[in-house]
Amino acid sequence: MSTSGSVLGVGFRTLLRREILRYVRRPRNTFLPPMITNVLYFAVFGIVLGGRIDRIAGFRYIVFILPGLVVLGAISNAFENASFSIFHGRWNEYIHEALTSPLSYTSMVLAYIAASALRGILVGIIIAGVGFVFLTATVAPIGVARPGYLVAFGLVITVLFASFGVVGGLWARDFDYLTVMNQFIIRPLVFFGGVFYSLDVLPEPYRTLSLLNPMVYMVDGVRYGFLGYADIDPNLSLAVLSGLAAAVVALDVALFRRGYGLVD
Amino acid sequence: MAPPAIHTRDLVKEYADVTALRGLSLTVEQGEFFGLLGPNGAGKTTFINVLVGLVRKTAGEATVFGHDVERDYREARDAIGLAPQEFNVDRFFPIREVLEHKAGYHGIPAAEARRRADEALKTVGIYDKRDTRFDWLSGGMKRRFMLARALVSDPDLLILDEPTAGVDVQLRHDLWEIINRMNDAGTTILLTTHYIEEAERLCDRVAIVDEGRKVEVASPGDLMDRGTDTITLGLRNPPATPPEVNLGGVTDVSLTDGRLLVTAARGSALVPDLIRELDERGFEVTDVDIERASLEEVFVDMTRSERAGGRRDESEDGEVGRAAAGTGGDAGTDVEVSR
Ligand SMILES: Nc1ncnc2c1ncn2[C@@H]1O[C@H](COP(=O)(O)OP(=O)(O)OP(=O)(O)O)[C@@H](O)[C@H]1O
Ligand SMILES: [Mg+2]
Repeated sequence: MSTSGSVLGVGFRTLLRREILRYVRRPRNTFLPPMITNVLYFAVFGIVLGGRIDRIAGFRYIVFILPGLVVLGAISNAFENASFSIFHGRWNEYIHEALTSPLSYTSMVLAYIAASALRGILVGIIIAGVGFVFLTATVAPIGVARPGYLVAFGLVITVLFASFGVVGGLWARDFDYLTVMNQFIIRPLVFFGGVFYSLDVLPEPYRTLSLLNPMVYMVDGVRYGFLGYADIDPNLSLAVLSGLAAAVVALDVALFRRGYGLVD
Repeated sequence: MAPPAIHTRDLVKEYADVTALRGLSLTVEQGEFFGLLGPNGAGKTTFINVLVGLVRKTAGEATVFGHDVERDYREARDAIGLAPQEFNVDRFFPIREVLEHKAGYHGIPAAEARRRADEALKTVGIYDKRDTRFDWLSGGMKRRFMLARALVSDPDLLILDEPTAGVDVQLRHDLWEIINRMNDAGTTILLTTHYIEEAERLCDRVAIVDEGRKVEVASPGDLMDRGTDTITLGLRNPPATPPEVNLGGVTDVSLTDGRLLVTAARGSALVPDLIRELDERGFEVTDVDIERASLEEVFVDMTRSERAGGRRDESEDGEVGRAAAGTGGDAGTDVEVSR
């Protein structure tokens, strides 16, 4: 038997590389759309509307929404990549190339998640870049207040949504499921997750209800990374999100092991 | 003693509304060239998919080189190279990279994976198409590629699920040669096919399965011995009615166009006695032609008796007919090709 190695051995690295190349080689389908969308967001919310909206917690509106837009782009791309890649592989059955290989189920899951999280992070960086260009041109350049937190939140939220994407990719029965998940699950969570407003503007009970939405902690944490301002204790957010991410990764591995959606 | 390449016991697979395997027990020894024959829906692909982990068995045992296909799934899968019946190739990458990836999943480092990918493409003769995507290959090239992908991890067990479906005669012979070379080099081969001639030519042993059960396992030669051979004799002065022949094993004697047709089990062994007997009766034999019973004939008999007049749809367009023409037997008239 050849040495297919440990969980992170040659097999894992090959699948990871395959998954990354799949989107890197098609930037027009993968990186251009979020870039264009966010140019539009910044133009409309930041410049056209932004001047008419009061400062929030002392920040100009365009500055305040930047972290939220980064989160929105990062997690939806992490989710979409994992769900699409797995579903497309199931649909055309080429996921069998990996399934019939001596890769451990953990290796397979980690490769899909790592590649998808990376795509989320790259999109997040692109959106932040677009934001900085707009800010520099219209107001003033801003820095990153808490780089350590920014990196930590960026990692944990993209891993979390990549692992949700794995579940989605296994569950989907046709391509419409992918659209449905994005439109009816992710978007509402994001729009009520404090991307475009501070929780403080909400009356009760909506403020308390919002705390049940995991997106709130994600947006708040990333905002803390960029601006040094948070509604919720960032360490608590980080701990809760890490716990959740670990749980969903474990679920993914269990689903692969059971062959859910993969094996007849 | 070396564990068998494939060993299953009482293998059962129930899908939602069909039972595809009903207690299939099969052993394929290391180094064998083993054929799995059976009509459409017999359960051949299901059997294979249990081994590689694409189908979860309902009950029974399955091991590959002694590794349980579920408990030791990584060892079992590492030993297998599979060319499946349906195309399932990564469409995002050119075929050379698809092979590199497959090798990589088997733990082969990048440089060596590239070397093996190129070697596999050369073996099947599509190296000049290496930068093309699978979708843009011709049907025959696609079949070649499926074999290349099965070979790239240098498997100890090569599983080929109808590898020559829909390919031309030349390519079929090319593929046979490659597979035979692999077998000569020690690779165990499990082949399913609807071209019975293919099994007859290539396999050391064949299993005939029907409706998820094993009907028979034997060498093609042994199976053919169970059929009836036809001996055709030219006579210098043919009589008006067929002469009597009192020899064991003879099932029928008839005259057609002045030639004597004798059907018998193990016909070739009978020929000397037959000529002597005719001679004693005053008939001078001018020429003799023996047609062996074809494996196909035996196969059809076995699977027909299994389902006793039930649906028979095993002949995909022309496959059985073409194989019959190839063996030159009178199978073409004896065997009713339904549809
Ligand atoms: N995924 C599935 N879900 C439900 N039934 C299935 C599935 N796959 C196969 N079957 C059924 O199981 C039985 C065996 O199918 P299988 O594909 O193993 O046959 P086969 O011997 O390979 O046939 P063929 O020669 O046509 O390839 C058939 O009745 C088939 O309809
Ligand atoms: Mg089949």
